[in-house]
Amino acid sequence: MNAIEARNLSKSYRLQGSEPPTMFGKLHRTFRREKPNLLWALNDVSFDIRQGETIGVIGPNGSGKSSLLSLIAGTTAPTSGIVTANGRISSLLELGAGFHSELTGRENIFLNGAILGIPKVTLQKRFDSIVDFAGIREFLNMPVKFYSSGMYVRLGFAIAVEMDPDILLIDEVLAVGDTAFQIKCLARIRDFQRRGKTLVLVSHALQTVEEFCDRVFLIHKGKLVGEGKPAEVIFKYLKSYMGEGGGVHAVEYGSRDVEITDVRFLDSAGAETGTFTTGESFVAEINYKTKVHVARPVFGFSIKTGNGFYVFGSNTQIAGCAIDSIEGQGAVRLKINPLPLMQGNYFLSLSIHSWDHAIQYHRQEDWHPFVVKNPTQEQGVFHLNAEWEINDRGR
Amino acid sequence: MSVFADILAHRDLLANLILRNLKSRYKDSILGFLWSILTPLFMAGIYLVFLRILARGIPMEEILIGVFAWQFTMQCVFNGLTCITDNGNLIKKVSFPRIILPLATTISNLVNFLLTLVVQFALVAILLGVRGQHISLASAAVPAVILVHFLFCFGIVLFLSCSNVYFRDLEHLVNVLVTAFFFITPVMYSYGMVEKIAASCNLPVLAELYMINPMAVIISAYRALILPDVVFPFGAGTVVGAGITLLFVFPAYRIFKKLQRNFSDMF
Repeated sequence: MNAIEARNLSKSYRLQGSEPPTMFGKLHRTFRREKPNLLWALNDVSFDIRQGETIGVIGPNGSGKSSLLSLIAGTTAPTSGIVTANGRISSLLELGAGFHSELTGRENIFLNGAILGIPKVTLQKRFDSIVDFAGIREFLNMPVKFYSSGMYVRLGFAIAVEMDPDILLIDEVLAVGDTAFQIKCLARIRDFQRRGKTLVLVSHALQTVEEFCDRVFLIHKGKLVGEGKPAEVIFKYLKSYMGEGGGVHAVEYGSRDVEITDVRFLDSAGAETGTFTTGESFVAEINYKTKVHVARPVFGFSIKTGNGFYVFGSNTQIAGCAIDSIEGQGAVRLKINPLPLMQGNYFLSLSIHSWDHAIQYHRQEDWHPFVVKNPTQEQGVFHLNAEWEINDRGR
Repeated sequence: MSVFADILAHRDLLANLILRNLKSRYKDSILGFLWSILTPLFMAGIYLVFLRILARGIPMEEILIGVFAWQFTMQCVFNGLTCITDNGNLIKKVSFPRIILPLATTISNLVNFLLTLVVQFALVAILLGVRGQHISLASAAVPAVILVHFLFCFGIVLFLSCSNVYFRDLEHLVNVLVTAFFFITPVMYSYGMVEKIAASCNLPVLAELYMINPMAVIISAYRALILPDVVFPFGAGTVVGAGITLLFVFPAYRIFKKLQRNFSDMF
């Protein structure tokens, strides 16, 4: 059975939104016969989501992911086409939306619960656990306008997790809150999956999408351009679209006497991929082409995390792997085995320059995105070969 | 799903929103709910003083009934204007039947009105008692008028709340229109005065036309039922006015239903 069905779903917005929607403005535009300037946030999208499936939605910023969620949730009406959902829908994005600042924490628990569609009986039964979870017991009878923003969000979240919908929509939960909050969110997602609920997850954290989802939709400029197994769709995304909006600092320059023509990521089995696993091998095959005979070139690389943290950089010169000269076409392979990076989005930068750094032939800064997943529960940015030794003195 | 089933399914939310409206209205004010009674009393007092100077012979109890009923409608007008626009965040993020918001606004104002009616009845009884009169037995039918008054107010709230999302000018326009509306409604004068003026102009049809105004019908009905000496002005104009009063909610609902589709795009 399908939980969500969409047929030829489209949504357009008027771009003249910068003008206030006053009667005068409206008349003015009518008399000047201005055609409304439309932005198609979603354009002719059709899909089925089966009950119990977890769907990831990925795509560059502004591609229409959030619009898709609003349409499924029913907060926005489609311009054309239809979307139907079987079952009760909630979304984990309205933390504290609908709080009334003049009312107390206690009153807001019931008000916000009613807004989210949580039955009153459930709220009464779970009241203490909500209060303790949010840690606001002393402030229960205080209007929420006097709450700190942290208390506000915690209370919003404590209420939201009491929702028990058939379909849960999640928009970038991992973008807000501290690590503890994110871990709670992920635990909640696992819990939903176990109970056979349908989930639609919008996220830029590609490793989370890869880890949680059964299927992934790739949206670009309002169109559904890819759909299928997480690894495949994520690979397509990294390969085709991520450079556009994702890699903000991506720059490319150089004299182009030597040019990087193609870069392919290969997994431990030698197949082309976009996703690696912590502890397994990482291979980047760099194909190049030269215009002239180049003596003693140096190939360099560096890896940064998705948020710009410089992880590691080296080159053939430092590594003591001297190249006499190159001419015509060729390929070099960069191998890291085992890969010590933990789960996350990463960028590979590549460069080819002369022995004395005087000439940059070709440099691609933050140019090649890839994803690392980690099947274990380990946390952090870097995998350390940690071991435990247990001695028996305590016995 | 019909709109009634929709509302029924969200009765928890409706009840919570009504409570929120009632609780937040007088939060942080010292006199709190008393203001609901003091405002119409002050209004009645002011009209009485000035009308004594301008014209004589408008009984105080008629003014009292007028101002209390008028206050209910006006609170619906002004709360109704903003009941969608004030909840933009909610509209954008949570899916629920939008009609719950105007309905909660109208019902919370109705609750407020019913509470003030207790005071109004007591005052009217005292005023009549001084002259040896009693509240008319026909008062038993007042709940029917309240229901009609409620339906008319709900129509106004539906219409204003959804229109204000698209035309924010409405807030300013309504301020002006309400003043005009006040003067063509028998709040601070009686229908008898209207008849007298119409007769003095040799245009009795004016008095007929006057009753097309739904608020004139509603206030006249309250007065005729509660007060022993006041007669309800039956006539062609009254029939039209009563028709508008009863049916206004239907076109208002149709407009609301059509406009609510794109509410979330406007915030």
